[in-house]
Amino acid sequence: MKNIIKHKAIYLLGSVLVLVGCTNDLNVEVQDPNTLLVDEFYSTPESYKQGLAGVYGNLTLTGASGPASSNISGLDPGTSQYGRGLWDMQELTTDEVKWSWENDPGLKGLNNDTWTADNVVIRGFFGRCMTEVAFANEYLRQTSDAKLNSRGVSTELRGEIKTYRAEVRFLRALAYYHLMDLFGKAGFVTENDPVGAYQSPQYGRPELFAFIESELNAIIPDLKNARQNEYARADKAAAWMLLAKIYLNAEVFIGQKKYDQCLANCKNIIDAGYSLSPIYANNFNADNNSNSAKNEIIFPVVSDGVVTQNYGPTTVMINAQVGSLEQNGASFGVAGWAGGLRVTKQFSETMLNGTYDKDDRNTIISKDRTIELTDINNYGTGYITAKWSNKTSTGANGSATEMVDTDFPMFRLADVYLMYAEAILRGATGGSLTTARDYFNLLRARANNAKRILTSDLNLDLILNERMVELYGEAHRRQDLIRFGKFTGGVYNWSWKGNVVSGIAISDTYKLFPIPKASIAANPNLTQNTGY
Amino acid sequence: MMNRFRKRKRYFDVKQHFFIVLFLCFSMGAFGQKLKVNGIITDATTGSPLPGVSIIVKSSNQGTTTGFDGKYQIQVNQGDVLLFSFVGYQKTERTVKSTIIDINLTSENQKLNEVVVIGYGSLKVKDVTGSVALVTPKDFNKGNIVTPENLLAGRVAGLSITTGGDPGSGSTIRIRGGASLGASNDPLIVINGLPVDNNAIGGSRSILSSINPSDIESFSVLKDASATAIYGSRASNGVIIITLKKGTKTLSANIDMNMGVNTLASKMDVFNADELRNLISVQNPSLLPLLGKANTDWQKEIYRNSISSNLNASVNGMLFNKIPSRASFGRTLQEGLMLTAGFERTTGSVSLNPTLFDNHLKVSVNANVSLEKNRFAKGVQGTAITFDPTQPVYDANSPFGGYFQYYKDNHDGVLNKSDLTERAPLNPVADLMQTNSRSEVKRIYGNVKLDYKFHFLPDLSAVLNLGMDKSSADGYTRVSDKNPLSQADGRIVGSSSEYSNELSNNLLDGYLAYKKQFGILNLDATAGYSYQKFTNERYNTNELLDDGVDSAPVTSIDPNLVLVGFFGRANLSFYDKYLFTASYRRDGTSRFSEENRWGNFPAAAFSWKIKDDFFPESKTLSNLKLRLSWGVTGQQDIGQTNLDLYMSRYNTGLPTSQYIFGNTVTNIAIPQFRNENLKWEETTTYNAAFDFGFFNDRLTTTVEGFYKESKDLLANAAISDGSNFSNSGFQNIGDFTSKGIEFTVNGDIIRNQKGFNWNANFNTTFIKTQIKSLALDQDQLVGGTGAGAGDGSTVQIHRVGYTPYSFYVYKQIYDGNGKPIEGAYADLNGDNIINESDLYIHHNGMPTVTMGFASNMNYKNIDFSFNMRASLGNYVYNGANATRAQYNLLKNSSVVSNLPTSVLDTNFKSNEAVLLSDYYIENASFLKMDNVTLGYTFENTFNANSSIRLSAGVQNVFTITNYSGLDPEVFSNGIDNSITPRPRTYLIGANMKF
Repeated sequence: MKNIIKHKAIYLLGSVLVLVGCTNDLNVEVQDPNTLLVDEFYSTPESYKQGLAGVYGNLTLTGASGPASSNISGLDPGTSQYGRGLWDMQELTTDEVKWSWENDPGLKGLNNDTWTADNVVIRGFFGRCMTEVAFANEYLRQTSDAKLNSRGVSTELRGEIKTYRAEVRFLRALAYYHLMDLFGKAGFVTENDPVGAYQSPQYGRPELFAFIESELNAIIPDLKNARQNEYARADKAAAWMLLAKIYLNAEVFIGQKKYDQCLANCKNIIDAGYSLSPIYANNFNADNNSNSAKNEIIFPVVSDGVVTQNYGPTTVMINAQVGSLEQNGASFGVAGWAGGLRVTKQFSETMLNGTYDKDDRNTIISKDRTIELTDINNYGTGYITAKWSNKTSTGANGSATEMVDTDFPMFRLADVYLMYAEAILRGATGGSLTTARDYFNLLRARANNAKRILTSDLNLDLILNERMVELYGEAHRRQDLIRFGKFTGGVYNWSWKGNVVSGIAISDTYKLFPIPKASIAANPNLTQNTGY
Repeated sequence: MMNRFRKRKRYFDVKQHFFIVLFLCFSMGAFGQKLKVNGIITDATTGSPLPGVSIIVKSSNQGTTTGFDGKYQIQVNQGDVLLFSFVGYQKTERTVKSTIIDINLTSENQKLNEVVVIGYGSLKVKDVTGSVALVTPKDFNKGNIVTPENLLAGRVAGLSITTGGDPGSGSTIRIRGGASLGASNDPLIVINGLPVDNNAIGGSRSILSSINPSDIESFSVLKDASATAIYGSRASNGVIIITLKKGTKTLSANIDMNMGVNTLASKMDVFNADELRNLISVQNPSLLPLLGKANTDWQKEIYRNSISSNLNASVNGMLFNKIPSRASFGRTLQEGLMLTAGFERTTGSVSLNPTLFDNHLKVSVNANVSLEKNRFAKGVQGTAITFDPTQPVYDANSPFGGYFQYYKDNHDGVLNKSDLTERAPLNPVADLMQTNSRSEVKRIYGNVKLDYKFHFLPDLSAVLNLGMDKSSADGYTRVSDKNPLSQADGRIVGSSSEYSNELSNNLLDGYLAYKKQFGILNLDATAGYSYQKFTNERYNTNELLDDGVDSAPVTSIDPNLVLVGFFGRANLSFYDKYLFTASYRRDGTSRFSEENRWGNFPAAAFSWKIKDDFFPESKTLSNLKLRLSWGVTGQQDIGQTNLDLYMSRYNTGLPTSQYIFGNTVTNIAIPQFRNENLKWEETTTYNAAFDFGFFNDRLTTTVEGFYKESKDLLANAAISDGSNFSNSGFQNIGDFTSKGIEFTVNGDIIRNQKGFNWNANFNTTFIKTQIKSLALDQDQLVGGTGAGAGDGSTVQIHRVGYTPYSFYVYKQIYDGNGKPIEGAYADLNGDNIINESDLYIHHNGMPTVTMGFASNMNYKNIDFSFNMRASLGNYVYNGANATRAQYNLLKNSSVVSNLPTSVLDTNFKSNEAVLLSDYYIENASFLKMDNVTLGYTFENTFNANSSIRLSAGVQNVFTITNYSGLDPEVFSNGIDNSITPRPRTYLIGANMKF
C-alpha cells in the first residue's frame, strides 16, 4: 500500500510539471507578417506616420486587406466605404442621381426617400464615421506625452507628431461634422474613454457644433499653413473650410446665423493662394492629384488603382456612369458597370434649360434615352452623365481598369466661391456682392459658359442651381436642399421622391437620417430621431 | 453434410462462420490427448441443439465446435478448463471433471454487449447512460462511399449529413441541428482519440476527404451532454468518434473493388434554342439580331458521364508471429460530372496492436498516409444556365482556342480586353477546358496509445495517447492564354497562381482508469488531462503573370490554437441495474484572455434497467431502460481568423491598401477590433430516453427527447459605435434553444430457417429550434440571395422567437387567376409604403421531421439492400429562379441570356421587383433513395475461408419532391443557388475474402 502511495505521488508530481508547461502554452503569440501587437507596432519611428495613414486611410479604405475587406459589418465591404456612404446619402436621396440596382440592400430606400432605421447603408456610414472617431482617439492615446516618453521618442519626431495629432483631431472633427449633418447626433467618445463596449453619452447638434468649432480653433495653430503640407494631408485651409461649412449651415444645425464667420473663413481660404483649375474636368480626372486641379482642391480623399484600391465614390461614379446603351466605359478608362447611375428629369432639365446647355459642366448624354426615369430597372430611361473619369488630363488611362486613380475632391475652391456668394446673400458682412458676382462669374468663365451674371442677378435660387451644376456628384446636394428648404415637404419634387415617378412631398422626418437600430441597441444612450 | 450444416445456419453472421471453419482446422491438431470429453450443447430456453458452438481449452489454442446435432468431442487433460462460446449466447466455463459435459447456453443480447467507444474509454452498450449511437460496418451505407461520413447518412436519429455533388465533396454534418448561431455548428470529429481540426486545408475537398472509409471499424455518435461533456469546450455540437480498424491475430485478407458510371440525374429547366428564339420574338424582338444559329444545351455540354472506381485491399495477421497487425491500401478515383473535375485518393494504413508484459501493456500504433489529388472545375453551373443556347460551343474563327466567345476584334494588332464584348459572359465549356486548377494534399495522421495495467494494482491502468495529424497542400490555378480572362491592365495572357497551406495538430492525452467491483457496486473511474495544439500557415503567390503590387504574394500565419483540458469521469453501477455517470472537464483555450480562458463543463446521468426490476421474467420484453442526463458543454470555435480577438493588434495594409501622402505611398496600420471579455459559449443539454427490446432484442426501439439551451452565444454583433475599431464584433450575447424527439427502431423482421432474413432500421427526428434572445434584441439579416453584383441582398433573418435562418420576404399578391402580380406586395404594416418594414417571416430551411430507413435482406447467397431518407417541412428559397427568371434578364448588357422556364408561370419582368417575393419560397420536402444494392456471394472459392461477393447497385436512385428546382437537398440553410448536381451512379463491385 505504501508503494502505491509513493507511486501516486511521483505520478502526481510528474503530472503537475507537465501540466504547468502545457497551460503556459495557452499564451500564444501573433505570428502573421501583417499583424503586430500595439507596443510592438509603435516601437519604430515610422510607425507614427503609418498610424496617421491609418486614420486618413479610413476615409478611403474599408479594411487593411484590399477593397473587399472591411472593418465595418452589416453591409457589403465596398458599400461601407466612407466617401461612398456619404455620397449615397447626400446624392441618391436628391434630385441629382439614382442607383439602378435596387437589389443592393438599402439603396432603394435612399433612391425613393423611404429609408428606415434598418437601412444597412445608413448603418454602415454611421459605423464608419464612428470608427473614424475611434481610430483618431486611438492615435491620440498612443501619441500621448506619457506614451511618447515611455517609448523614448526623439524630440524631432515629437515635433512632427504634434502636427500629426492636430491632423487626426481634424479628421475626428470631420467625422463628427458628417454625423451632425446627417444624423443630428452621435455618441461622443474621446481618447480618454476606454476601448471595448463603452456606452458614450449622446451629443446633439448644439454640443457637436461647439465641439467641432472649439477643436478646429484649437488645432489651427498646430496645422501646417495652407498648401504647405503634403498633398492629401489636412492643413489650416482644410480646418477653415470645415468651419465655413458649419457656419454656413448653422441655421440648420443650431438655429443661429453664423454667416459672418462663414465668410471670414471663406476669405481665409481664398486669400491662401488657391486657384481654379483652368479646365473644369481636371478636377475629376485620374491625375487630379498632380494636374492643375491640385491648386483648386483643398482636401482630397485619395484613390489609386493599384495601392489605394477602394469601392469609393470615384470608383463607383466612374464605373457606374457608363451607359448600358452606350457601353462607353473605354472613354473613361474603365470597363465599367454599365447602367448603374442615371440622373433625374429635374436635373436634366436644369442642365439643358439654356443657361447651361453650352457649359463644360453639362456632361449629359441623352441619345436614345427618355428624360424621365420612368423605370428604375430599365437602364434606357433617364439620361446619364460623363463628369468623372479614370483617364488623365492628357488622355492616358489610369493604372487599372476598375479601381480608379481619381481622388475624391471633398473640398475645393469652387465650393468656397459659391459659399462666399451665398453667405453674402444671406446677410454676411465683411465682403461684397460684387466680389460674390466676380467669384460666380469665374466659375462660369472657367466652364466656358458665355452667360455671365450681374450683381442684380444674384439670388439664392441661382446659387442653389449653380451649386448643383458645379458640384454635381460631390456629395453636397442633400445638405444644400435642406439649407434652402427644398428637401422635404412638397415645395420641390423630383423623380422618385416619395417613391413616385413624378415625385411627391415627403415628411420633415427625412431631414435627418435615423440612428441605426443596431447602434441604439448597442448604446442605449442614443435616442431615435423623431418620426422613425 | 457440410453443406446441410451451412444451409441451416445461414442466419449467422458470415464472418463468424469463417471463424468457425478456421477453428475447425486448428482443432485438428488437438486430438490424441489423454481424456476424451463429449457432450451436447443446447439452447437454455428452447432446449434445441446448437451447432457451431466453439469449445476451447483455456490457455491453449486447442478447440473444436459442435456439429449439426449440437454434439462435440474433445481430448483434454483432467483439470483443464473448457470455454464454450457462441455468438448471441453467454460464455460458459467448465473445469473438466468427467467425460460428459452437457451445457445449456443462455442466449444474451448481442447488441447490448457490443462495446462502444466513448471519450477517453469505452463501455458496453447496455451500460451506456448518455445518448450514444454506435454504427458498425453491418449498418454502414453501401455503394459508392467516397468520404467516411457518408457511411452514416440517414443511419442515426438526430444526425444529418448533406453532401455536395462534386467528387470527394465535403458534407455539412449536424448533430441535433447544432447549437450555435455565430460560432461553428460542426460536430467535433475524433479519430482514434485525436480530435481533428474543423478547418479543411486549402486545396482539399474537406476535412474527411483524405480518410479511407474502408479503414473504419466503427463510429460513435455522441449526442447528449453526458456523453460529450468530457470533450468540454468543443462538445456543444456533438461528437463523432471514428475508430479505425485494428490489427488482429487471425490471418485474413480482403479485397474490395467497385466501379461506377456517374450520370446526370436532372438539369435546370431552361429554354432550348428554338424556344428562346420564339420567346425573344415575343418579349423583346430588338434582341433578335443578337441571336446565333446554333442549338446548344449548355448544361449538357458542361456535364458528362464519368467514371468512378474504388479499390481497397487489406491484410490482417500476426507480424513476426507476435504483433497483431493490419495493413491496408486504398485507391479511389472519381471523375466529376462536370468536365475536368476529378478526385484521386491513395491511402495507406498500418495498425499494430501488440500486448506486452503478460498483457499488462497494450500498445496500439496506427499510422495513416493519404495523398489526395484534386482537379477543381470552375463553378460555371450558373453560366451554363444563362448562356445563350443559340450560340455554338466551338467557333473555327475564334482566336480563343477555337471556342465561341463574344468578341469584336478592334484590329489594333493585339488581342486584349478591349477586343471583348463588354460584360459578356465567357463560354462555360471553354472556361472549364482552359482552366487547370489542381491541388495535391498530403496528410499523415495517426496515434500511439499505450495502455498499461499496473502490475501491483491491475484494476488501475494508465493510458497515454499521442496523436498527430499533419497535412500539407500545394495547388495551382492556371488559365490558358487562349481564354479571354484579362489581367487588371487589360492584357490577355492567361493567368497563373499558386498556393500552399500547412496544418498541424498534435495531441497528448494522459489518463488513469480504475475499474473495480465492490460487491454490488461496480466502479469505473477515469481522470486525466489533454493537451492539443493546432497550427495553420498559408501562402498564396497571387497572380504570377502580373508583377503589380495587386499581385504581391501573401503569407498568413495564424496564432497557434492551444487547448488544454483536465477531465474526470466516474461510472457507478449498483446491482448492474442503477447506473450513474458523472463527468467533469476544465478546459482552457488560447482564444480567450487569461481571465476568461478557463471553463468548467460538468455532466451527470442516471440510467435504470427497469426490466430487471419489474419484468425480470418477461419473454416478450427483453430490455427496458430509462436514461436521464444533464450536462454543460462549451463552444469556442469562431473561425480560423478569430484566434486572437482579445489582443491589442494592429494590422498593416496589404500592398493594395495603403495611403498616399504627397507622392509617397505610406503603408497604413489600423487597430483591430478587440474584446478582452470573450469567453465560452455554453450549452446545457437535458436528455431523456427509453430503450426497449422485444423478443430477445430482435426488435429494439429507442425514444429519446432532448432540450438544449445555449447561452452567451458567440455572436458577431453590433457594439457601441466609436468604442471599438469596428461597429461590430464577436461578443457573448444571445440565447438559443432547441428541442427534439428522436425515435429509432431496429428489427430483425424475418429470421427464417429457410435462409431468408430481413433486417430493417428506421429512425426519425423532430427538431424545433428557436432563438430565445439575440444580441441586443436586434434582428440579424442573413442568407445572401446571390443576386446582383454581390452587394449582399439577404433573404433570411435571425429574430427572437423564431427559428434561425427564417426566410424574410414580401407577401406576394396574386391576381384573379392566381398569377403573381409583379412587385405587388401586401402592405403588412399599413403605412401605404412598401419598404423593409413590410417584410415578414415565412417558413425556414430546417425540416420539421427527418427520417432514415435502411433495409437489408438476404436469401441464401443473395443479398439485397436499400436505404432511403426523407425530410419534411423544409422550405427552400429557389434562388436560381428568383435571381434569373425575369424577362428583363434576357438582355445581359450586349448579349442575350437564357432564363429558367419558371418565368412562363410568373411573367415577371424585373428581377429587382421580385427578388424577395415569398413566391420563391417553396416546400422542398423530399423522399430520396440513396442506394440500392443487389449482391451474390460465392463461398469456398479458393479454400474454406474464402468467398467472393459480386454486387451491383445504384446510388442516388430517385428523389420524390414537389420542389421545382434541381435538387431539394441544398446547403446554406435553405437557399438554392445553382449547386453542382449530385450524380446518379450505377455501380458494380466485387469483394474477395481469404
